[in-house]
Amino acid sequence: MAEPAFRVSLLTKHFGGVQALTDVSLEVAPGEFRAIIGPNGAGKSTFFNTITGLHQPDRGEVFFEGRRITGAAPYTLARNGIGRTFQITSIFRDLSVLENLQVALLAHARRSWSAWAPARSAMVSDARPLLELVGLKGTDARVAGTLSHGDQKRLELAIALAGKPRLLLLDEPTAGMAAQERLESIRLVHRIARELGLTVIFTEHDMAVVFAVASVISVLHQGKVLAEGAPQDVRAMPLVQQVYLGESVGDSADASTEGRSP
Amino acid sequence: MNRSAAIGLALLLASALPFLVSHFWVFILVEVLAFALYAVSFNVLLGYGGMLSFGHAAFFGIGGYTVAILTKKAALGMPLAFVCAPIVSALAAVVIGYFSVRRAGIYFAMLTFAFQMLLYTLALKATELTGGDDGITGLKAATAIAHPVAYYFFALIVVSAALYALHRLVESPFGYTLRALRGNPRRVEYIGVDVRSHQFAAFIITGAFAGLAGALFAVSSGNVFPSWLNWTASATPIVMAVLGGIHTFIGPVVGAAVYVMLEVVISGQTEYWPLILGTIIVILVLLLPEGIMGLWRRKAKAHG
Repeated sequence: MAEPAFRVSLLTKHFGGVQALTDVSLEVAPGEFRAIIGPNGAGKSTFFNTITGLHQPDRGEVFFEGRRITGAAPYTLARNGIGRTFQITSIFRDLSVLENLQVALLAHARRSWSAWAPARSAMVSDARPLLELVGLKGTDARVAGTLSHGDQKRLELAIALAGKPRLLLLDEPTAGMAAQERLESIRLVHRIARELGLTVIFTEHDMAVVFAVASVISVLHQGKVLAEGAPQDVRAMPLVQQVYLGESVGDSADASTEGRSP
Repeated sequence: MNRSAAIGLALLLASALPFLVSHFWVFILVEVLAFALYAVSFNVLLGYGGMLSFGHAAFFGIGGYTVAILTKKAALGMPLAFVCAPIVSALAAVVIGYFSVRRAGIYFAMLTFAFQMLLYTLALKATELTGGDDGITGLKAATAIAHPVAYYFFALIVVSAALYALHRLVESPFGYTLRALRGNPRRVEYIGVDVRSHQFAAFIITGAFAGLAGALFAVSSGNVFPSWLNWTASATPIVMAVLGGIHTFIGPVVGAAVYVMLEVVISGQTEYWPLILGTIIVILVLLLPEGIMGLWRRKAKAHG
């Protein structure tokens, strides 16, 4: 395999006595659409927060395109080509849709320190195609907080894309959506990632969503990587089925593990 | 009415006013100007950056004391002393901000508050330098602008230029970034912005402008007192900003004008003026949650 786009080596994190991650290692190839799944409490959130600079790992390293980024500040990650979205949609609610993207694009252009030139019409020509890409054409002037939940998710995606990332990290990208909307939403991300040649890592509850788009799946269980492989292989693994309480993983559209104990 | 017409009209009115009223009121108008700048500088932090400083008076006070000490004790000329005021305030903001912007919300407010009380104590105790309880009195403006009307125009020019610069700032990429991090600092981090540095810069810049306002007012009133650094002094820009409306640039200017005028009028009538002023402010804030300018905006919207 060529240089992995993203590599985690022996990542370990505990909170007090709770071992949240134990020696988690994985490699993600360029252009991959990697799903991180696992029952509640498996360590998905901790994993995500640790690779995005919110938590410092106790041990282990994180590499992006061969460069060590362990524990780097979030703004450093963003500047180096890593974009992310949040489980709870994170946009600038009291700014207009256009301003949301202007702020992100200005930041990417390292112009956030410019304190004299007017920003009103800055970056508009870069913002418009992004809005069109995520399906928010014509919503420029709307106050972002008044958009529907689904549109807010789209806007958040556009904000993340404004930084021209090469790696996109999506934490539960379909959280809070209706079943049909989830598939539409993840397919949009999938299509855009393909078009732009992005590597994507996402955590997800909904197996239908995972199996619709993932190229490789990593299963976390009790803070460890339990299994990893192509979707059909992972689905067939007895160990994985056991973790999911004997259910045939991915059989039904709503095989969500939400609310189930590991 | 478009914006430039409104600004032109306001400047015209502001230029005519001192010829229409007594010197006492010219003095009050200077106070309005100084506090307008003070309140706007405060509101760039609160209304745009979402940072509630409870120690903004530190910089207003330092501005005032800098002019007073440099002219009275160091025998520096007034123009130079005046230039030094915002610089010294900015330096103080570097020190205070360095520690304060590490925390958000109420902890930020408390840290700024603590630093200001430290300065208050210093102003009271460092008698040699600050005159202690008695403050420093007998400040005079440079001869060229010694006349009240001349000083008024000096203040008008300084405040107009300062407000222009601050307006450029809030409409700039830096200002947009401040507005974004007001509601969602974490998201701002993840678009590649070092949030704390931007907050730190905003703190220093607004501190400098507050210092300029303090210097203007000190020379106008001819004295500085330690009470300028007391905690109640930090409530003043908060009340002015909220009264005028924190979600518009011009709101705090309106708030400052209303506040100062009310104070002058009511204190001329009764010694219980703080009681009356407080009551009026409570009523205004309850009736106009978005401030006076909020009402203006609603009206403007309703009429298309």
